[in-house]
Amino acid sequence: MAHVNVIALGLFRLDTGLHELSLEANKGKDLYPQLLQKAHETKPDTTVTQADINGCIVLVNGKTARKGTKLADGDTVHLMSPVCGG
Amino acid sequence: MATSYAGYMGKVVELDLTTREVREYPWTDEDRRKYIGGKTMAAKVLDTMLTGREEAFSEENPLIISTGPLTGTGAPCSGRLSISALSPQTGIVASSNCGGTFGYFLKKAGLDALIIRGKCDQHTWIEIDNGRFEFHSADEDGLWGLKATPSQQRIKELLEQKWGAPRSFGQMVIGPAGENLVLYSGIISDERAAGRTGLGAVMGWKNLKGISVTGNHEITVANPEKAAEWNRKFFRALRTHPLTGRQLPRMGTAGLVSPMQMRGMLATRNFSAGRYDQFDKICGETLAEKHNIVNKGCVSCPIRCSRTVDLDGKPVKGPELETLGLLTANIENDDLELVIRLNNELDELGMDTISCAGTIAWAMEANEKGLWDNGLTFGKADELVGIIEDIAYRRGIGEELALGSKRLSKKYGGVDFAIQSKGLELSAYEPRRAVGMGLGYAVSNRGGCHLNGGYLVILEGLGLFTDPQTAHAKADATMMFQDLMEAIAASGQCLFSSYIFFPGILITRPNSALTTTINKAIPYIGGVLRLINKYPLAVQMHMPVLPHTRAFELITGMKMKMGDYMRAGERGYTLERQISTRFGVSAKDDTLPKRLTDVPQDPNDPKTKVPLDKMKRSYYNARGWTQDGRPKVSTLKKLKII
Ligand code: SF4
Repeated sequence: MAHVNVIALGLFRLDTGLHELSLEANKGKDLYPQLLQKAHETKPDTTVTQADINGCIVLVNGKTARKGTKLADGDTVHLMSPVCGG
Repeated sequence: MATSYAGYMGKVVELDLTTREVREYPWTDEDRRKYIGGKTMAAKVLDTMLTGREEAFSEENPLIISTGPLTGTGAPCSGRLSISALSPQTGIVASSNCGGTFGYFLKKAGLDALIIRGKCDQHTWIEIDNGRFEFHSADEDGLWGLKATPSQQRIKELLEQKWGAPRSFGQMVIGPAGENLVLYSGIISDERAAGRTGLGAVMGWKNLKGISVTGNHEITVANPEKAAEWNRKFFRALRTHPLTGRQLPRMGTAGLVSPMQMRGMLATRNFSAGRYDQFDKICGETLAEKHNIVNKGCVSCPIRCSRTVDLDGKPVKGPELETLGLLTANIENDDLELVIRLNNELDELGMDTISCAGTIAWAMEANEKGLWDNGLTFGKADELVGIIEDIAYRRGIGEELALGSKRLSKKYGGVDFAIQSKGLELSAYEPRRAVGMGLGYAVSNRGGCHLNGGYLVILEGLGLFTDPQTAHAKADATMMFQDLMEAIAASGQCLFSSYIFFPGILITRPNSALTTTINKAIPYIGGVLRLINKYPLAVQMHMPVLPHTRAFELITGMKMKMGDYMRAGERGYTLERQISTRFGVSAKDDTLPKRLTDVPQDPNDPKTKVPLDKMKRSYYNARGWTQDGRPKVSTLKKLKII
């Protein structure tokens, strides 16, 4: 298991109350259930579901990643909801 | 000149401030069909009035306030108007878009547009009531010299005293920056700003402090029942779309700071980098968690992207992404509360936050490099409240900062890091990590504007994630988005309504095979986009992803299929360019500073710079312009401009 630093951004952060946390995982997708659990611990009334987490853009060390991306010790994983503006 | 179309009031008025004469401007239904309204309509009027010899600060420069046919009709996001003129900042034709209620009330007064020429002989504000114009002294009424909110409150008091009872009305004013001819001063209407290109200074030069407008004309709709039903669907589409229904209402444009940071596109230290190590202190999430009170919106807007935030216990308008980025990362300031204060003060003084912040960043670097000893330093932002006031009142170094980074870099040196195009400072998107946005900044008609430049960042990392470093298809996509946004603005709707063009599933499932395939495919469809751009009239239908055209038809009664709409947008965009060529604009002006085109953002990755020349060639081909950037006669004929 790799020790990784996970940073939540966007609506995902506002909806879960999660900011930065240390987790263990082999692949990106291993983080999802842990994040859902942490979200419910931090914000019991959160409406965030697994689908919302699946809908986040994932970056590993600043590069676009996918659910199956292998993680290594010390990686930084960002999860953020898609945005636009102007 | 009455009209057979609904939505329009059928009257455009020309007001001469010098003689105080008011006359109707001839504007026919054929003009309406070709130029729709808003900024495109204004471009046509400017085309007849500007020869290429006029100065921005002259009686010959008309200031045009124009609505679109959908303004005030209840269509979604239809509270918009355009203000157009020759810009003192760029010296070429410019237009700035504004929300608020002025557009709606201009139509209630029976007017589609107001063309203001000449110059008042004293400081003046004008009251428009049902097409009747009354001139008042802005000095005797205690208006001249006031900031934006007190100015609007004073006008309200004066009108209520006169009317004896409250009545609804719209108004627009300039602040001290416009009065003192700061080249990037804006016009404020309610809490909204027509911020860009210095049109506040045009008003200031005309000695015009403000305008109020009201009336009780009826704004008609061609097919009220069907339009109401369609608008309901349109509203629903906006409310249920992940961008316009969730992200923008919840976080506003401030929500972009984090993804821009992640993508390396957050302009940092005067665009010398794309990531700011203190970004978490200033991002939209922190703004929402610590300062947001409520979101607000323009008339008829379900998106409500504007924020009300807390400052010293008082609710004030929150900063938009551009201000947030440029007054934090770009000057290395991590004090979010200070940004809220600066943003509020800039609005009150009536200044464009983007150009002001961009000029300050340039000045900091010029000071650091020993080119101009001005005392400004990256990371030291405390003194900026005083500095921006000095700019508005043109005191001390403010006298020079009021000129903007292009002029200052010509005087002191540092042209390569003056982050502007055609004299207009760029907004907070660092284009070396979104090269299509770089092309847009460079070719944009009004200068370094992300929206007028086509807003390709929406494909290049915000929204979708098409390869941000490739030049493929970027020219054609830029043209397509520019023309689409031109048509939307001309109709009187907000550009943000265009985001529903992107199917929600691509946004909510960014990691899905479908989204990944589309991201990968976009660079290969340049040829298809070019064909659509070239023959838009072949698309004689409404597109389900863009409810705008059907709403347009039901409201106005004018035929407006997708192809007509895109062609009208192209016509407006090309006409603006054609006028600017009279003022000497050509390919040489479609540029970016060398920092963005010659220096890779990542020294280890030579692709991280904007391949501008290559994309420009392709863009001019797509538009039917010469390689010198001038619309060809055949293109002008095709578009029925000549
Ligand atoms: S999206 Fe924002 S700027 Fe556009 S009309 Fe709505 S509130 Fe105004």
